[in-house]
Amino acid sequence: MSEPILVAENLTKWFPVKRNLGQVLRHERTWVRAVDGVSFSVEKGEIFGLVGESGCGKTTTGKLIMKLLDITDGTLKLQGEDVTHIAGPALAQHRRHVQMIFQDPYASMNPRFTIENVLMEPLEIHKVGKDRAERDVWVREILDEVKLSPPEEFLVRYPHMLSGGQRQRAATARTLMLNPSLIVADEPVSMIDLSTRAEILAMMKQLQREMGLTYIYITHDLSTARYFTDRLAVMYLGKIIEMGKAGTIIDKALHPYTKALIGAVCEPISGKVNQIKDVPIKGEIPAATNIPTGCRFHPRCLYSVPDCWQEEEPTLDDIGGGHLVACRRHGEIERLGNAARTSEASLGLRRTA
Amino acid sequence: MEKERILEISDLELHYFTHKGVVKAVDAITFDVRRGETLGVVGESGCGKTTMGTALLNMPTPPGRIVGGRILMDGQDILKLSENEIRRRVRWESISMVFQGAMNCLTPVYTIEKQMRETLQQHRQMERQEARERMKNYLNLVGLSDDVLRRYPHELSGGMKQRVVIATALFLEPKVIICDEPTTALDVVVQAQIINLLKDLKEQVGVSFIFITHDLSIEAEVSDRILVMYAGRIVELGTNEQIYGPQGPAHPYTQRLLAATPRLHEEVEALAFIPGTPPDLIDPPPGCRFHPRCSVVMERCAHDDVPLREIEPDHMVACWRCFDE
Amino acid sequence: MKTKRSVSQARALWAEFRQVRFGVLGLVMLALFVLIVLFQPVLLSKADAANRWRDMTYWLDNPRYALPVWVNWFTGRDYAVSKIIPASSVVDSTSGSLRMQTMEFPYEFKAGRPPSDFMFKVGVTGRVSLAMEIVRPDGRTVTYNKSTTSEGSQILRISVAQNMMDRVFAMASSAEDPAIAASRNPRQIDSIAALFGKAQPGILSTPEVLNGTYTLRLQAALASPTAKIDSAELVIAGGVQGLLGTDGSKRDLWSGLIAGTKWALIIGLLTSFISVAVGVLYGVAAGYFGGWVDSLMNRIFEIFVSIPLLPILIVMSAVFKPSIWIMIIMMCIFFWVGPVKTVRSIALQIKETSYIEAAHGLGASHWRILFRHMVPQLIPYSFASMALAVPGAIVFEASISLIGLGDATVVTWGQILFDAFSSGAVLQGIWWWVIPPGLAMAALGMTFAFIGFAMDTILNPRLKTR
Repeated sequence: MSEPILVAENLTKWFPVKRNLGQVLRHERTWVRAVDGVSFSVEKGEIFGLVGESGCGKTTTGKLIMKLLDITDGTLKLQGEDVTHIAGPALAQHRRHVQMIFQDPYASMNPRFTIENVLMEPLEIHKVGKDRAERDVWVREILDEVKLSPPEEFLVRYPHMLSGGQRQRAATARTLMLNPSLIVADEPVSMIDLSTRAEILAMMKQLQREMGLTYIYITHDLSTARYFTDRLAVMYLGKIIEMGKAGTIIDKALHPYTKALIGAVCEPISGKVNQIKDVPIKGEIPAATNIPTGCRFHPRCLYSVPDCWQEEEPTLDDIGGGHLVACRRHGEIERLGNAARTSEASLGLRRTA
Repeated sequence: MEKERILEISDLELHYFTHKGVVKAVDAITFDVRRGETLGVVGESGCGKTTMGTALLNMPTPPGRIVGGRILMDGQDILKLSENEIRRRVRWESISMVFQGAMNCLTPVYTIEKQMRETLQQHRQMERQEARERMKNYLNLVGLSDDVLRRYPHELSGGMKQRVVIATALFLEPKVIICDEPTTALDVVVQAQIINLLKDLKEQVGVSFIFITHDLSIEAEVSDRILVMYAGRIVELGTNEQIYGPQGPAHPYTQRLLAATPRLHEEVEALAFIPGTPPDLIDPPPGCRFHPRCSVVMERCAHDDVPLREIEPDHMVACWRCFDE
Repeated sequence: MKTKRSVSQARALWAEFRQVRFGVLGLVMLALFVLIVLFQPVLLSKADAANRWRDMTYWLDNPRYALPVWVNWFTGRDYAVSKIIPASSVVDSTSGSLRMQTMEFPYEFKAGRPPSDFMFKVGVTGRVSLAMEIVRPDGRTVTYNKSTTSEGSQILRISVAQNMMDRVFAMASSAEDPAIAASRNPRQIDSIAALFGKAQPGILSTPEVLNGTYTLRLQAALASPTAKIDSAELVIAGGVQGLLGTDGSKRDLWSGLIAGTKWALIIGLLTSFISVAVGVLYGVAAGYFGGWVDSLMNRIFEIFVSIPLLPILIVMSAVFKPSIWIMIIMMCIFFWVGPVKTVRSIALQIKETSYIEAAHGLGASHWRILFRHMVPQLIPYSFASMALAVPGAIVFEASISLIGLGDATVVTWGQILFDAFSSGAVLQGIWWWVIPPGLAMAALGMTFAFIGFAMDTILNPRLKTR
């Protein structure tokens, strides 16, 4: 294994909630615990996936890595250097090394900029390249790289004149301008048509291989995550609850939440029309202001026992082969199968689901 | 076991008259909807699937206009009815629609009861108490408790709001409900729950659904028959088994689209994709509209308009390749 | 290389601008206004009209409330036109030690209505006696004598309406029905109408015009050795004068409008440009930085909004001499708040967009984000609010003028309008005093609005297709 490029330890982001007068007088403070102690490391040249439902903190984690948000607690190391609280020139340096691809490529480009302006911007900001001519050459090279050719045709266009796929290529090109070591891709294909989605992912993968890039791929879509990533971390309410090789997580999930997520995914396979999908989960995701005690998943878990909410929150333990899971009962659940579902949970679930 | 046809659409054409030219968004489409089935409509964005949905209610969005075809319901052509009659007898009474993002369009200042009653009273005179009973019944049917009636939209989660919208669509006991991307904005778990709900309703209420989405994998879960649209036309129409079964779909577009859809439990090295972009519907390519992107294109594809033909029972395809054998 | 690039960019911009019809209209209108400013000396009816607008003596020769000349073309009412008639003959003679000068001023009167005044304007030096005789076409005469002594040169205006009422009354009474004549007195009649009326009963009450040649004969006795007549002319103040008529102070409104154009442009453009620029930058900065900076900036903004401008201006005018430039500065100081709230809310929206986040992620400085990403988005809005601020500034200047704080050395449309309002022009139906300056303001406002909207269409790429 090569050295990790990014190490997050106990990464935390709490947002304060606006208080009313009563709460101010009572000195009460409530927090949205968007990211609540997340630890992981990303190896150089790998694609690391962060998956979870909306509100699980995956995008916030991405922004913390980008240093677009201040880190409340924990440490973040990039290439061995502590970047948790950097500012000024060090931060500028960090922004050269870490780049982000946003979910909506159209929104992420200034509508008044031509593609040329968009691609020139990182060079201008970091004063890279000795003159316009040199930058021009680079811009053309990168456009070729992301297969927007001939470059002349695209340079003068505005974002709204491109198709969804072309926009995401342009957005990807922008991240490559500064030759970064890490790219955070936040749902890069969720707004792109199915027929081109695979094309974009293939292009990103090819670039990764050619240029030795490292990606952090943030998504809610397990199917593309499996195809695109090497390792996956599943987040729930601000915490990673399971992490490991993408194939292992999806085919041999241990955490009940991961299982529910996987169960919920639709697949283009025949013969499922007349079956009700088995989604082993109950209730709805609680607010991040009010995280349940003990295991934060217990109110929705079909296998929870009193230990789950009375004891400490389970830690993310390695169970071998780089597979980490944060569940007290994962072993039992595996052995007993569905029989381990608590009686309360198995009653009339289909209707309340 | 031929099921009763409750909606027969033939040669339906809807054009948008824009200042740049006429966009042939729905171009001579023929299909039917059978009692108690879910008909899936799939296609990429801009292929005309949503437009077709609104056409079935005869309420095209301006500058769109239905320029031809028939929509037969109980032997009567909806398109020949007056606007008044459509409002009274068709919309919501016989065909209702769950619009894309409808759950985010609930009025924030009204309770759920008030929103639902408004739809109801547009169509039926009903006592307050009776209306409330009816609303409760339908809310229960979609898996919500009675007290939702007193809530405001912001107090409900996305999934609950979608259920409210579906309950409202069910309300007047229509024969067909058109659902336009009902699960797109929802998280996977909630999406699965809504899918389960629709399956359940199909069984319990016997209503037919037209399920519009861009996602082939969702169609595999919900639809009995699947209609694949490309550039305003139907390219393939077949049963779930015919499309997703082991022999796979017949039309190259469907094949490629399916290959581009990632599968969860399969390790793939590289996903297939379809190069190029869908054509401009103001000036679509001649012949088969898919031919510029097709990998098995033949000479005649480029100039001969391709008809939709039945190649086996219940399986219609519009591809010269499939007819040649 | 760089200039070449910007030239080609400007050319491209112009090519696009030409496509927007109302934008071109706006430009044409703006060009017209600029031309008016450039050719102001040619367009003014009197050379010093712009400088001596408030000098009432400068305008004494004009009729009061004269309609625009073109009214005659449309109404067929046939008002007499203003005229200045020089002496047709000058005869010098002596009568003993007395030098005499005799002049004749023939006035060909051909109109349906009498002029508004018949005035003899003469410049004299030393001791002079003037004997005037107006000979009507029917041979009746009106005489008037005046003696004057002055050290230097002086100008005398002897007007029928003001000086010869008694004589005209006497002349007319002889033709009028004695009963009516006895019931009237010289103050009650329209002496001009009587002078130009047919000698028949009714001349005092319902006079009919008598067309023909009216001759003013002047016999001047130059009593002192140095005495002389410097100038002499007959001034017919007509019922119509100039392209836009005259106001209650006899001023030529056309000249006022032309002279006011320059100031309207200066006040409007300068005030709106400075205040919108400051306001937009302020609003963007407040929205972008947020937090305590935003709170502080908001408080400052609120202070400026809540200060009543008028009392401040009254105090300021006591401290400074009222000047148009001070006024522009003062207006900028208070007008910049206009766009702040809207701009701040737009900035808050832009700030949340993901391209701003992307720019942050790329390491862009605050400066760059503000000026490269946010301010350009606000250009259309800025143009629109500038266009809207232009008439506002003009009107505000006018209201300041109303309370006597205007700059008396310049002519502005606002001052013309407020003169009109204060003399009740609207109630009296003197439309030509009110409508033209109002229309001019509207036209200037529209000019900028058109240009603003055209710029919006061009600068907002989302409205463009290719």
